Order: sequence, then C-alpha cells, then structure tokens
Amino acid sequence: MKFQKRTWSSLFIIALLLLLSACSGSDEGSTGKENSGDSDEASTQKITIFQSKVEISDQLEALAKEYTTETGVEVEVWGTTGDDYFEQLQIRLNSDQGPSIFSLQNVTEAEKMKSYVADLSSEAYAKDIAPGMELKVEDKIVGVPYGVEGFGLVYNKDLVKPEDVADYESFVSTLEKLKAEDITGLGLSKEAYFLIGHISNYPFSLQSDHYEFIDKLTSGDVTMAETKEFQEFGKFMEAIKANTPSPLDVTYDKEVGDFAAGKSAMIHQGNWAYGMLADFDVDFEVGMLPFPLNGTDKLAVGVGNNWAVNGKKDEAETKAAKDFLNWMFTSETGHRYIVEEFGFVPALTTIEANDLDPLSQDVLNASNSGQTIPWAQNYYPANIVPNDFAPKAEEFFLSKDMTGEEFIENLDDAWKNAVK
Amino acid sequence: MKKFYKILKELLLLIAALFFLSPIYIIIVNSFKDRQELYENVLALPKEFSFQYYIEAMEKMNFLNALANSLYITILSVLIIVVLSSMTAWMLARTDNKLSKIIFMIFIATMLIPFQTLMMPLMQFMSTITNTLHIPMINTREGLIFMHIGFSSSISVFLYHGFVKSIPITLEEAATIDGASKFGVFWRIIFPILKPITVTVMILNVINIWNDYLLPSLTLTDKGLRTIPLSTFYFFGEFTIQWNLAMAGLMLTIIPVVIFYVLAQKHIIKGIGEGAVK
Amino acid sequence: MQNKNNKGWYLLFTAPLFIIFLTVVVIPFVIGIYYSFFKWDGIGANPKVFVGFDNFIKLFGDTRFLESTWKTTLFTILAVISVNIVGLVFALLVTSKLRTSNAARTMVFMPYLIGGLILGYIWQFIFLDVFTLIGEVTGLENVFFNWLIDMDFALYALVFVFTWQMAGYIMIIYIAGIQSIPNDVMEASMIDGASWWQRLKNITFPLLMPAFTISLFLTLSSAFKIYDVNLSLTGGGPANSTEMFAMNIYNEIFGYGNYGYGQAKAIIFFLIVAAITLTQVYITKKREVEL
Repeated sequence: MKFQKRTWSSLFIIALLLLLSACSGSDEGSTGKENSGDSDEASTQKITIFQSKVEISDQLEALAKEYTTETGVEVEVWGTTGDDYFEQLQIRLNSDQGPSIFSLQNVTEAEKMKSYVADLSSEAYAKDIAPGMELKVEDKIVGVPYGVEGFGLVYNKDLVKPEDVADYESFVSTLEKLKAEDITGLGLSKEAYFLIGHISNYPFSLQSDHYEFIDKLTSGDVTMAETKEFQEFGKFMEAIKANTPSPLDVTYDKEVGDFAAGKSAMIHQGNWAYGMLADFDVDFEVGMLPFPLNGTDKLAVGVGNNWAVNGKKDEAETKAAKDFLNWMFTSETGHRYIVEEFGFVPALTTIEANDLDPLSQDVLNASNSGQTIPWAQNYYPANIVPNDFAPKAEEFFLSKDMTGEEFIENLDDAWKNAVK
Repeated sequence: MKKFYKILKELLLLIAALFFLSPIYIIIVNSFKDRQELYENVLALPKEFSFQYYIEAMEKMNFLNALANSLYITILSVLIIVVLSSMTAWMLARTDNKLSKIIFMIFIATMLIPFQTLMMPLMQFMSTITNTLHIPMINTREGLIFMHIGFSSSISVFLYHGFVKSIPITLEEAATIDGASKFGVFWRIIFPILKPITVTVMILNVINIWNDYLLPSLTLTDKGLRTIPLSTFYFFGEFTIQWNLAMAGLMLTIIPVVIFYVLAQKHIIKGIGEGAVK
Repeated sequence: MQNKNNKGWYLLFTAPLFIIFLTVVVIPFVIGIYYSFFKWDGIGANPKVFVGFDNFIKLFGDTRFLESTWKTTLFTILAVISVNIVGLVFALLVTSKLRTSNAARTMVFMPYLIGGLILGYIWQFIFLDVFTLIGEVTGLENVFFNWLIDMDFALYALVFVFTWQMAGYIMIIYIAGIQSIPNDVMEASMIDGASWWQRLKNITFPLLMPAFTISLFLTLSSAFKIYDVNLSLTGGGPANSTEMFAMNIYNEIFGYGNYGYGQAKAIIFFLIVAAITLTQVYITKKREVEL
C-alpha cells in the first residue's frame, strides 16, 4: 500500500517536471534557431516590427524578407488587428517584450511613449521629410511618416462640380438639390473617425495657430461655442443632418458602396478609401475637394502613422532597427515598396511618386502647391474621438431637434471630460 | 391526438433550431462573395460557389501550421485541465473543512474578473517569471498552455464540484474499506462516473481555448506559433474587414470544433447509460 | 498516521492546479489591486503617484461609470432570465425523445461554437438588413427596425444576441442535469399516473437544482463580464447607451490611459458581482437535493 502511494506521487511529480522541462526545452530550441544563421556579426541580430496598419502586413513581410536576403538581418513582423494595436503595444512594452520598431499615430501617442522612442534626428533621411510632417517630441524627431494622407469631399465628377461646394450657401443648396433627386448629398459613416473625427478637424485647422487654440481650449480660456469657425461648423453639421440619411445606419463599407453605386454624390473620406473603391465597379471619375468651411479651398493633409524605434532595447538592436528604417527610406527597393506596394503618398521629398490613384494624386497636388491645412486632430487629447466626440455626434444625429449650436456646446463638454 | 402533438413539437423544435442556425447562413453565403456582391445583397445566394476565398484565406493564414499549433495547444491544455480539475474538485467536495471551502470560493470568485483587467499585470508577472526563473512563459506554446489551464480551472472545478456532490459517497467508502488508495478510488471508481460531466467540461474548454484570440495575441508573437484565430488578423483592417476572407477563415476555424462537438456529443448520450450506476 | 496521509493526498490532488491558478489568475489580480492605489497612465517608464483611496472615492462621482453600472445590471437581469428560459426549454424538448432532438441540439449549440468578435459584426448585418426588411414586409416597422441605433432598443439587441449565443451552452448544462435524473424515479411517477406538469414540478425541477445553480452562476457571471459582443455589436453606442462594465473599464484603462483608476473600477466591479453571485450560489445550493 505505502509503496503504491509513493509510486503514484513520484509519478505525478515526474509528470509535472516533464511539463516544466518541456517548456524550457522549447526555449532552447528557438534561441538555437536564431543563432543558426551565418557566422558574421550582423546576421545574429534580429529585429521585430509591430505596427497598426493591417492593410500593409503582407507587403511589409515581403519587404522584410528582401532585407534579410540583402543583409542577413532577420526581421520579424508581428500581427495584430487594427483596433487593439496600441493596447497590445503598451502591454508588451510594459512587460519587457516590446518590438524594436513600432508605429505611432500622432504626437499624443508619442508623448505618452516618450521614454521609449529613440531620437532619429541625426538619421540621414531625416532632413528629407516634408516640412512639418515629422513627428517631434521635445524638438527631437522620433517618428518618420508612413506617408501623407489627405481627406475632404470625395466626389463623383458626374454629379458634383467643384463650384457646387465652394462655400456654405452653395454646399447647402447642392445637398438640397441632390436630396430632391433622391441622391445622398454627403455620406458619412458610423465609425468614430468617419462620423466626427476627421470632419471635426476643420474648425481647429482654420485657427491661425491651432496648437495655441487647443491649449487655450484645454485651460478653459476659450470655448468652441464662442469661436466663429465652430459656429459655422455647427451650421454645416445641421445642414448635413437635415439633408442626408442618418450616418448611424451606414458602415464604412456601405458608405463607399453607395458612393460607387452612384447613390451618394459625395462622401467625407480620405485617399485611403480608394483601396476599397477599387473593389467596386466604378464607372465615373472621382476626385477630392476641400470641405468648404469658411469657404476654404485647402485639403486637410497630414500623417496618419509614423515609424518609431524602440530606444529601450539594447544598443545593437536599436542600431539594427535604425539601419532597417534607413534602408527602407534610402534604397530603391524601399522606395518601390512605399509607393507601389504600400500605396502611400510619400512624405519624403526624395521619393518619387508616379501612377498614383486619382485621390492620392489630388492629395499630392494639394501638398505640392501648399494648398493644405494641417491635421489638428493629431493634437487632440488621446482617444477623445472614440471616447467623447463620437457619443456626442451619435446623440446629435439621433435627436431630430438638436441644433448645431447645441452640438458644439456638447463638444465643449466632451473636451472638458477628456482633459480632466 | 397525441401523435399530432408530437409532430407539432417536432416541427416547432426544428423551426426554432433553424432560427438559431440562420445567422450562420450569412457567414457561409458571404464567404463566397466579393465586396461588390456583398454590398448589393447580404442575404442572397452567391453568384457562384467557388472556393477561391477559402484557398486564399488558407494561404494567408498559413493554415496547416496554424492548425497544428491550435491542435497542440488545445489538446494538451484540455487534457491537463480535465485531469487536474476533476481531482481538485473531488478532493474539495469530499473534504468538508474550512480550507476546502475557502479554496473553492477563491476558484469561483475569480470567474467574475473580466480578463481585460488582468492582462497587463498577467503579462508583467509572466515576463518576471521568464526573466528571473528562466522558465519561458511568453512566446512559447507551453507557456500559453499553462495560462489556459489557469484560466479554465475555475469553471472546470466548478462544474466537477457540482456533479461530484451528486455521486453517492457510499461507493467510495466501500472501496476505501477494500483498501484502495485515494488515487485508485478516484481513477477507478469516481472518474468513470464523472464521464458525462467530463465530456461537458471538455466541450466547453475546447471551444473556449480553440476560439481564444486575446490571450494568444498577447503571448505569442513568433509567426510560426500562431493559432488559427490569431492568423485571421490579416483580414481585420484598420477600418474595414475583408468579409469574404474573414468569413472563410471563420468557417475554417469552426469546422474542427464542430466535428469535435458532434463526436463528443455521442459520448454524452452514451455516458448517461453508463452513469446509471446510481 | 491516517490523518497525515490524508493531508498528503489532499495536497497531491489540489496543489498542482491551485498553484497554476494562483500564478495565472490570483497574483495578477493582486498586482492589479496594488495599482489601484496609484495614479498612473499605464506606461512602464512613466511615474506612478501613490494616491491612496482617491481612485475609489472618485468613482462615486463618475456619472458615466454609475450609468454603466445601472445598464449592466439591467442587461444582466434580462439576459439571465432569457438565456435560462430558452436554454431550459430547449433542454426539455431535446431530451423528450423526439426525432429531431439530435439535430436540434447541435443547431442550438452552434452559435456558441463560433466565438469571438465576428458574431457581433454578423448581427449588425442582421439588424440593419434583415430587421428593416421584415419591418417593410410585415408593416411592423415599430418592432422590426435597426435596434442598434435606438438608445433603448440597443440594449435589447445586446440581450437578444447574448441569448442567441449563450442559450445552447446553458442548454448543455441542463441536458446533463436532466439526464442525471435516475430513470426509475421518472418511471415510478409515470406509473403513478402523474401528469407531465406534475412530474416537471415535483421531480424534474427539484432534482435540477444543481444544474440551476451552475447555469444561473454561469449566465450571471458572463453577462456581467460581457465584452466581445458589446464591442463588436454596439461598440457601447449609440451615445454610450450600451457601455457595459467591462467596456467602461477597458476604455478607462486603455482609452483614457487612467490605469490606476481603471483598476479601482475593476475592483469595485468585482466586489459587487462577487457579492451578488455568491449570494445566488449560496441560496440555490441550499435548495439542492443531495442524493
């Protein structure tokens, strides 16, 4: 009896030990794999990339492969879906499992990650970044744009002429005219950024100094409700609500589908929407026009994503990461990938862009001729768009009698909540 | 008259079940459509049933490799969970003292913690274990299995505990008098009786572990280690989903669990016959 | 000696699982409690400031959190009732020896096999396209419309989808319970001429008490913790009207970057749910019939 018990317990302990050793065993296996490359120094280095634009994952992996063949440095691209990227990045950095290269959307994110981002100011390509497009924290360049992007009124050239939407009066009468023909004048969709995020950008961008304005708004020195551009923006939103179907019923897919089918004449979107538009049979010409708040004729052009290097990794890895970015921004292969494979409007003056799609071409033209207003949304408090602006916008579109003025007051409250 | 009622019941049941199944129709038909077709009508049958999106999804997901990972992780986790949690539950249910009650309470109370609030400290702690004890918890399949066991233990112990209580204690007392050790009593007498609930525990854990996205997405970064749900990330863009690929990927994900479920179900029914020991 | 042996067995049977469980669940939870006393944005290198109980005090003035508490409670009550009724009815039907039983059992369970986020997206299609279509065809446009953009109905939509997903799971538990009812008891009652309802009330339900305990606890806890369906179906909208607890906490931690405050919410949340569910388990356990 006694003997039997002891055998059982020892068997059990052995089983547990086996399990644990299986764990540690597999680790040796994987490190062994890493070192099994060539014997020269560079090849033992491995870098990892973690980024949020799922649409380019495939192409990025291909680029990484080319880099490995050329230099021997192993590059691993991690995957994540678009919506939980920043949470995952945060968790990984906190548990010392961070990637060597990661993406950041804007200054607010960069400020948050201040202690992790490496200084890229002295990199060779840094001087070539289009003016004002670099991601800076405390005067150091910490992020290089993926590309520039622009948004505005994406329009069907058969249904709308540029002079139809040149100012508030013409904009409203165009919406009314289209409504009478049973066509949606301007389509928005329910995703936070497409519902309110991008469009809310205009009254901020039109301030003479939007940084200062945002600071004052945060400190409570000004309110949106008392600012002229916002009052006008409220009127625009009211006109959109009055003359188009509720965007809360519309997904991004449907927004673009309706536009492609000719059911809506304009949608408020950016050049990225072309990728989706190409999936539909579109038998008319498309282009992008400025949203005529205060009669402006400039497109909102900015940067949606930036590459950043993790400065908290050991020196060799940080250097290898910088080398990779340097290669991507200076080599011919890198340039080809950025323009042709990723489909970006390049943000580096040294990269030439040919054969852009019509929307990207409009963005590039505006950017080259300086007809642009900035993306003030990059300086909004973190996540204010999904957390605070979107609920207010939903409320606005749900309640038939909320005026544009009340909506702006609500946005003031949302801002206060986000910065408290 | 009685027959009429029976037929009515049959029909009602079938209609209700079809209603439950109907959203799955949407998944299937749309896995054959391109974006234009999907936009035109979500409900219509596809113009043609070509498996191109399935093939494309399989290629992008690196399906066979992901399948192997998923199988390895799920099978190992579930087997260990069944062994450990049935033993624990039986011991806790049969040893009626304060300690047992406290342990059992801790097990069930933690079922109420949303995973989202645990993930950051969990990853920090796992990384500490990796760095100090040199047991690689992160980015290994075994580490993930370990965590799956931990997270599934509450519900498994809870389910077993409830059913152990319904087994007459006299059975094991008789065996103990015959001189069998606790180990022998458990494996030779109790565990066979627990078969129906074991199958239930297995089904639930297989599904949860097989479909889990969040935990593997935090722990596995190596491309070669990705499970099936992890490999579908390619189809979920920043603002839009590649519906056809995502739906095809989803079908590929659930087919193995459906097979498992149908097979396991037979055992539940069979298990009842055997369980009639009482 | 016997006693000492028993201790050894006790340890051998319970310790392995309990140790794994401690490492994976309990210790991280305790670390989380520790963070709830700090003001911290969740970035490792950024400063953590000790604030004592401030985070907990702040909670009671947070209207969005309180609103979400109320919404979660309402959702949970509705969800627990509907999941258990649907699950139990199906369990009774499929165990009553009908020809369609097997097929039905698999079909009802199917939704649970499809986990994750994509369910919510599919239901978005259904509410948007199918519901509006039914509304147009039948003329019942005030019942069948897109529930997701109505501040009140969005919550019912959540209950609806949650029931659709969970009912099969709960059905499985009830089936196991029904099938463990000894056959002879049933047969004896049939011979005695008890009607279907009498058998249900006097035999099935009392003997199903353990299954009730389990099912209620499972639905209660998963309804309270609901996150995936919430995120993919309504995203908390419209206008935050369906932002449940777990989502509110998640947004606090990762959306606003208030890590410590979010953890404080999580702990309060845990205490509330634990109090409710443990009371429920205690009450139903008392009513269980031990064999």
